Amino acid sequence: MEKLNNPSEFNLIFKYALKDLSRNYQKISSIIVTLFISLFILSAIFTIEDSLKKELNDNAKVLLGGDLEIDYNRNQGNLDLVNKVKEFATISQMIEFSTMLSTTGRTKNKSLFTRIKTVDEKYPLYGEIIYEPEGAYERIQKEPNTILINESLSKTLNIKINEKVKVQDQNFTVIGFIKSVPDVSGFVAFGDWALAGKQTLEILKLNGIGSFLNYEYKVKFNSNDDPEKIEKRIQNIFKDDQKVKLRYPKNSASGLKRIINNFSQFLSLVSISAMLIAGIGIANTLLSFINQNNMSIAVRKAIGFYSGNIKTLYYLQLLILLFIITVISYGSSFLIVPVADKYLSDGLGLNVYPAFSFINFIKIFLVGLLVLIIFSIPTISSIDQVKASNLFRNVFQNLQFYYSKRSIALSFILLSILVLLFTIGSEKPSYSLGYFGAFFICLIVFFLLSKLIIFFLKKFKSSSNISLKVSIKNITQTKSITPITIMSLGLGVTLLLTLAMVGTNFQREIAKSIPDIAPDYFFVGIQKGEREKFEQGVLDMDPKANIEIVPMVSSGIVKINGVNPNTYIKPDNDSYWVIGSERRSSWVENVPEDNPILKGEWWDLSNPNQLQISLDAKVAKDFNIELGDIFTLNIYGREIDGKIVNFREVDYRDLSINFAMLFNPQFAKNIPHEYLATAKFNNTDQFDETQMLEILPSLSMIKISDYLNKVTAVLNKVFIAVTLISAVTIVIGLIVISSAIMVQGKVKEYQNLVFKILGFSKKEIIFSSIIEFLLIFFSVILIAIFFAVIGSKFIMENIFELVWKFDLKVLFNLGLSIGIVTLILIMLTNLKYLNPKVYPLIRNQ
Amino acid sequence: MSALLKLKKINLKYQTGKENISVLKDIDLIIKKKETVSVVGESGSGKTSLIMLIGGLERPTSGKIIFQDQEITNINEDEVSEIRKKNIGIIFQSFYLIPNYTAFENVALTLELNKFKNPEKEAKLLLERFGLKHRFNNLPSQLSGGEQQRVAIARAIAMKPELILADEPTGNLDTENSIMISDILFEYVKEEGSSLIMVTHDPKLANKAKRKIKIKDGKIK
Repeated sequence: MEKLNNPSEFNLIFKYALKDLSRNYQKISSIIVTLFISLFILSAIFTIEDSLKKELNDNAKVLLGGDLEIDYNRNQGNLDLVNKVKEFATISQMIEFSTMLSTTGRTKNKSLFTRIKTVDEKYPLYGEIIYEPEGAYERIQKEPNTILINESLSKTLNIKINEKVKVQDQNFTVIGFIKSVPDVSGFVAFGDWALAGKQTLEILKLNGIGSFLNYEYKVKFNSNDDPEKIEKRIQNIFKDDQKVKLRYPKNSASGLKRIINNFSQFLSLVSISAMLIAGIGIANTLLSFINQNNMSIAVRKAIGFYSGNIKTLYYLQLLILLFIITVISYGSSFLIVPVADKYLSDGLGLNVYPAFSFINFIKIFLVGLLVLIIFSIPTISSIDQVKASNLFRNVFQNLQFYYSKRSIALSFILLSILVLLFTIGSEKPSYSLGYFGAFFICLIVFFLLSKLIIFFLKKFKSSSNISLKVSIKNITQTKSITPITIMSLGLGVTLLLTLAMVGTNFQREIAKSIPDIAPDYFFVGIQKGEREKFEQGVLDMDPKANIEIVPMVSSGIVKINGVNPNTYIKPDNDSYWVIGSERRSSWVENVPEDNPILKGEWWDLSNPNQLQISLDAKVAKDFNIELGDIFTLNIYGREIDGKIVNFREVDYRDLSINFAMLFNPQFAKNIPHEYLATAKFNNTDQFDETQMLEILPSLSMIKISDYLNKVTAVLNKVFIAVTLISAVTIVIGLIVISSAIMVQGKVKEYQNLVFKILGFSKKEIIFSSIIEFLLIFFSVILIAIFFAVIGSKFIMENIFELVWKFDLKVLFNLGLSIGIVTLILIMLTNLKYLNPKVYPLIRNQ
Repeated sequence: MSALLKLKKINLKYQTGKENISVLKDIDLIIKKKETVSVVGESGSGKTSLIMLIGGLERPTSGKIIFQDQEITNINEDEVSEIRKKNIGIIFQSFYLIPNYTAFENVALTLELNKFKNPEKEAKLLLERFGLKHRFNNLPSQLSGGEQQRVAIARAIAMKPELILADEPTGNLDTENSIMISDILFEYVKEEGSSLIMVTHDPKLANKAKRKIKIKDGKIK
């Protein structure tokens, strides 16, 4: 017989790894299932996020509506400068504004606050408008007083084609419906809106701030021109114009991108938690599998396999398995994209398509690999404990997790890489880091809890109940699985309760009625001379209506302490909107009831000629503003310095009148202004919007319940995502718990056999299992509730910026349900160990 | 015949709690090449411990084990595995075939581990030699006790080891199968010139060996 001279040992191990895997995959089915579920969720999140970003990036010009956007906000802007650009590029002008749109000729006409976009013949410069019927879009340019409305508006007001609608004092004919427009980045993506020809603006009386006017010029470069050079040329033209904002495709849909990043960060973190919990399950199942193969490992050692080779054999099996599962789960994640596309096209007007990303695939594989290795190190290291000499003794050696200093250090390094992988590049790295920190604190607390339970139960010896004695012995025995059960159960239950509480809070937010403090209506566009007319009009319809009316002025922050405000904040900050465009501000004599002062003093009456500013405390914090800092504001073209004198707590969620900046009335009362009003009616039915529009045709009314319905629609979609991921965590958690029981399967079988021989009844064995579970579960659930309360409160208030409320009933019901389901699962898993066959066990078969 | 194995002043002690149990005491033993030795003694006398030490599966508390002029007492586990892989075949009372490998694969595994050029062919030849041609693709659970032990012997002798260690090779078999297995084993060592150390309670089987060693209370009598 000839021996091979240089055969690779690796090839041999690889061959046997494949062989073993092909024959043992059923025994490790729970590893396959948990790994698939967790990797599939991760893949789905990555794929959808990537597809969305790709869609946004690929269509950046379409979303922006041009190669560049010249935004003059509510002014027409400097047309001389715009005309200079026209000399070398194509320009499409568009004006957006908000006003009331009402039905006509019905017994009871309805009105709706609508965003109208007026466009010229060149619109759109990129992309296409989808509308019906054919030719309708062309008609709005040629025929005055024609309009196209979106599907939401047509449904809400039940408007048919050729029906007349009223906008201010003008009648328009609805000549078609729009399904989508390409440039959604700066336009309302959902809600009620309409498209009209450029002449519309001349027909209507549109006033300043109340109409939320916005002038934009979309620019398309000639195809032969170098885009960079043209951009620079345009920047040069507008370099001295402080009112203009130039936008580029790379900045298009930045708000949308931020929302996507925030939401995908949340989902990614939940999915990695699910993966880490799955990791515990994988470790358990693997240990159980290695215990089942204990004899094969001993035989391999007896015939000359090195321990290292055998370990490599198992690692290779895991690696092969991981690769196959990653391919399948990543591939399957593409099936989710059409579902996401349905939601996104309905909600945001965006279409997403499956996009393969090699980097994402590698990232998912790497995450799976790290989790798999971290959790299999102590399991596979237990192979070192297998002794070939056991084969002579007919002894069953129940293996336990094995930790050496080296393996602990390696696990720590791999874990750090995993944490960094999810932290670096995330929208809010500090949140990710905090999340992982909280996860590992939970892990440590549950480990310590297990030690505490074992310590106290060891002291408890005075029971005469045999089932209780057995269950305490099971929990406290040397090398018991109590710590691993408590850690996996604890983490699973914590994550479940946290997500469930986030879900129920979401549900409550969706279902809850309008906040008590919130008015029924917001009114904008009340001119200075119309105040009395407005108040009288409202009171005529409902004499008991509670009206709040405040002055309103539009201003832009030009400088902070003499420098560009952009140096104070990054565009991705939550408070960037304050300088993003002109803001509405107001002035009041006294501190608003729902806006308490957190720092500083109210107006300094001794200094009426100085503009004093009361600032939203969160904005102040995000901008790092101190009391006494100076804001230079542009108010009607005039630059005025204002001193920050106090910070207020502003909660925009109460839906009452709230402003980021309030001015001292002694200074501001002479500034030209209009009014913003709210009204809370004794009976909302008494208020007739159409009648009000007859009194003040340019008035805009926003019904809070309509607004909330739109928010509810968005929240419902978020709730579906949270519920889905909770369901996945439930499945993973249950697999983990059952895997923890499987770890001690053989021992349990032996134990039950001995009990059987000794004369224990099945009832007593089952009863001891129940007691064992209850002792562990009650300790776990209390800690889990504590962590879940903190976690869900943080997620609701900081990530989703919604109200969190403690709900004992929900917690009790959830805790009880989890307990019952877990107990049933434990009993089912234990069932197969209840009737051990005596002969094979005694004969070590 | 020159010495294949030397045991010098071997002691083996186990610590159970505070108690020290002396399993083997001052064992001196030389096994020559091609020699067949049976080890007999009462249960708990130290027979199995002795072959575990010889197979490098246990380390002595003191003393030296020299195999083929190389001391194996203090070398690391991987080096012992290397020696065992090439030179020592072990047969157990309970067969210990890998349950999810077929008869053929159980034998081929050893050959592949020892980097034989054509392990499949060799494995088939060996099984044919032991009358198991019709059982190539059967799993251990589909084989009788005698057949399982024949596969286990085929696996142990596959790489023609210098030394075969057998621990009660017929202990789990009926008389007919015991005779068949002992015949196979002794025929093989005779043909191939291997040494055999066999632990047994069966006097007839023990007598088949050239030399019989009796162990009592951890000492060779």
